[in-house]
Amino acid sequence: MTHIVSVQQVFKNYTLGTFVVPALRGVSLDVEEGEFLAIAGPSGSGKTTLLNLIGCVDTPTKGLVRIAGNATETMSERQLTRLRLHTIGFIFQSFNLVPVLSVFQNIELPLLLQRSATTKERRARVEALLDRVGIREYASHRPSELSGGQRQRVAIARALVTRPKLVLADEPTANLDSVTGTNILDLMKELNRTEKTTFIFSTHDARVWSYASSVVRLADGQIVDRVTAEEAVRAGGVPGQPSPRAT
Amino acid sequence: MRGYLDTLKVIVVIAFRNLFASRLKTLIVGGIILFGSMLVVVGTALVDSVDASMSRSIIGSVTGHIQVYNAKSADELAVMGNFQMEGADLEQIDDFKTMREALLKVPNVKTVVPMGLSGAMVPAGNSVDVVLEKLRDLVRRQQAGEDVKAAIPSQKDHVRQIVAVLATDMANVGKVLNDKAVAPEERAAIARATAPDFWDEFDQDPLGTLEFLENRIAPLASDADMLFLRYVGTDPAAFAKSFDRMKIVDGTTIPPGRRGFLFSKWMYEGQVKLKTAHRLDVIHDAILKRDKAIATDPDLQRLVKQNATEVKEIMLQLDSQQTDAFRAKLQKELASQESDVSKLLAEFFRVDDGNIIRRYKFFYDELAPSLTLYRVRVGDTLTIKAFTKSGYVQSRNLRVYGTFTFEGLEDSHLAGNLNLMDMVSFRELYGFATPERDREIQAIKAAAGLKEIDRDHAEAELFGAQPSEPESPAAVATVDDADAVLRGLAGKHRRERREDQAYDPAQLEQGVVLNAAVIVRDPRRIPQTMRDIEAAGTRAGLTLKAIDWQKASGLVGQFVTMIRYVLYISVLIIFAVALVVINNALVMTTLERIAEIGTLRAVGAQRRFLLGMLLVEALAVGGLFGGIGSALGAGIVAVLRIVGIPAVNDIFYFFFSGPRLHPGLSVANLAIALAIVLVVSGASSIYPGLIAMRVSPRQAMQSDE
Ligand SMILES: Nc1ncnc2c1ncn2[C@@H]1O[C@H](COP(=O)(O)OP(=O)(O)OP(=O)(O)O)[C@@H](O)[C@H]1O
Ligand SMILES: [Mg+2]
Repeated sequence: MTHIVSVQQVFKNYTLGTFVVPALRGVSLDVEEGEFLAIAGPSGSGKTTLLNLIGCVDTPTKGLVRIAGNATETMSERQLTRLRLHTIGFIFQSFNLVPVLSVFQNIELPLLLQRSATTKERRARVEALLDRVGIREYASHRPSELSGGQRQRVAIARALVTRPKLVLADEPTANLDSVTGTNILDLMKELNRTEKTTFIFSTHDARVWSYASSVVRLADGQIVDRVTAEEAVRAGGVPGQPSPRAT
Repeated sequence: MRGYLDTLKVIVVIAFRNLFASRLKTLIVGGIILFGSMLVVVGTALVDSVDASMSRSIIGSVTGHIQVYNAKSADELAVMGNFQMEGADLEQIDDFKTMREALLKVPNVKTVVPMGLSGAMVPAGNSVDVVLEKLRDLVRRQQAGEDVKAAIPSQKDHVRQIVAVLATDMANVGKVLNDKAVAPEERAAIARATAPDFWDEFDQDPLGTLEFLENRIAPLASDADMLFLRYVGTDPAAFAKSFDRMKIVDGTTIPPGRRGFLFSKWMYEGQVKLKTAHRLDVIHDAILKRDKAIATDPDLQRLVKQNATEVKEIMLQLDSQQTDAFRAKLQKELASQESDVSKLLAEFFRVDDGNIIRRYKFFYDELAPSLTLYRVRVGDTLTIKAFTKSGYVQSRNLRVYGTFTFEGLEDSHLAGNLNLMDMVSFRELYGFATPERDREIQAIKAAAGLKEIDRDHAEAELFGAQPSEPESPAAVATVDDADAVLRGLAGKHRRERREDQAYDPAQLEQGVVLNAAVIVRDPRRIPQTMRDIEAAGTRAGLTLKAIDWQKASGLVGQFVTMIRYVLYISVLIIFAVALVVINNALVMTTLERIAEIGTLRAVGAQRRFLLGMLLVEALAVGGLFGGIGSALGAGIVAVLRIVGIPAVNDIFYFFFSGPRLHPGLSVANLAIALAIVLVVSGASSIYPGLIAMRVSPRQAMQSDE
């Protein structure tokens, strides 16, 4: 059994002056390839922190993070950047597109950073993704000319353009209305199925759990449980203890 | 490779889009860079051109490329920059020939010109003396029985006229200041000369009265100016050949093997010419050639005023007939009833912009022909008295062969304040010590002790009697026969012809010199050649010091270096400001783009990608505006080249090596500007680059928090 993500006994402390904030307290998590994993939990429970560690944009205070077989604690900053470029795609809550580039150029950017594809290959790949996410006609627009949902589609296309094994999405629907959010999750789910890409996304919205292949519930920096979407939904959005305070 | 290019492309796209997005900032930064690069191009082009033209002036007038002098000298040689009376205290170089031969062995040395610089006071042309001399001559002839009755009265008349002018002058001084300003013996002298029976007295005792006039009256005419002449002693032929901008204006050059003196034309006009006439020339030229106007130029107004108040110099030259003629002409020209000629002259010289051209012409057509315009004329003999190194006074009579100037530097006092004389006379006036001469002085001293003749006189007489001169065998001094020398003292008349005496041209070559100008074949190799010269000197047993033209010309030569530093410092300041401004602008954009940079990092951009992005942004602004600025600068230089920058005064005249500077542009000027711009813009992206590099990819996630 290959685990695309393997997190073992991870602790993460943030220090604010002399004050230490324990954001994660002994988290262990294995994710199999092809999963569509939701990380759920109230605000401040450590979702973003966990995703940052998985996404190699941050390092744990203690514990091991293994991504696609790479022991991240042994890797340099440059190597981690390469790992992100080639293995991980990111979808952000506030889309984070480069405002001065067109939609096409935004999607193409990771390929240019990879420096492996020819112009033609890049063009074909970007156009295919534009079709997939349904914003072909906006290829030459600037992000500022698009709606939130359209921007998130651009972000999804950008995340997928390098055919990463793993896509991380931190509350991808939080800035969208519920209909648009549902559409985005539909799109992600479909891409997960067709491209066999592993998705890990965080949410504190119980309604979207049903999309997930399994749901990891976090509270106070610790994993409460890991259940299937059905179990989670059966729990009726009122999962066991501790009871979700937020949302 | 392809990949790199495409990455670069995306960097460029991002960079340019960002620049466009913050247009105002880009324009401010760009404006500074544009101005800075323009300044660099125009500034360096101008300084380079001035440097080139001034070096032409200096090298071409007197220093040559390199000056060589004795390393044991107490002072440093300063051919132009030394504004003292005396030249620098230099140790002599004993044998020019040896030195020349040694130097010519250095491959880059083309010619070596012997030199010596010194100065002397020269009494020249008191117009009263001239008149009295004529009168004395007439008296002498009368006593010898010649019939000069017709000539004497008019000459007496002229003297009377002079005394009258001096008396008025004295009265004026008394009025303006107070009576104590005039010494009692001067007042007494004038009283005696203006007394009604003075000329009866003259008729009875002409020689005694003349004595009184010469001793008491002539000194009152203070136009008995001493000329201070700085001169370079050299081989006139070699000098003319090596400094090919030198050209003779009046007369001829000093013939080979002859003693003689050449005035610099500038000096001749300024010091020897009648002052009023010279001032009129200056005013006329300023208006005609330099577009000046008396109404607006205080310098010209001062000259006009001086001319109007200083007509005495002309008055002293006029005898009664001439006075009448002047009165008639001036009354007509000025449509005036005034009968006092000095007042008429004063009014005449009170020129304005409307009448200057006419008055100038009138002066030269109508008045000048009756005046002595130059106190010393070509062909006259100049008596130069100089202090020798040992402190004795040495005197030489030198024939003035002509005047010379340096082409393109006609109006420059820096090039014009050196006159020229043959090296042989120079050596005598300078009083070089040679072993033979020391022995001769000893002999003279011995004889002088015997005959009680004072030492100064002895040396003067000795040096006046050069042993090697074939034409005065009687004056040959030998150690054994000091008496013979002293007998020679009596032969005063022989000295009168001295200026005509020739010397053996080989003497120029063989004797002592103070310094030498070296003309090289390849001016780019001057520093190396200087080292070679010193080495060659050492090999020949000489202690030579070589300095380049810039150093040799003293302060003047360093002026351009000074301007250059000023330019560099202003450029430095401008670009320091540019650096700070570009830096700040980039820091601001970087801080505004933290989330974007974080995103790029998260998505997989390495740090150097961000660095490249900022660098391209800075270089693009620098390159674009630096390019425009340089192009504008090149345009300005091109226009200046066609129009020319006028030399506003004679200092600039010298710097510009002529009346206008036509600056040239070199590739180096542009290259320097662009290099500075690129370095500065590159450097200014370092700090924002560091900020960008420290942005963590995590900051992409937190963009909304
Ligand atoms: N950079 C930081 N410095 C200090 N404390 C931090 C930092 N980032 C997160 N924390 C703290 O760590 C804990 C976990 O934060 P995290 O952002 O992972 O929670 P979250 O589940 O993503 O919350 P939300 O649903 O509000 O996004 C919180 O208590 C938070 O205040
Ligand atoms: Mg979060």
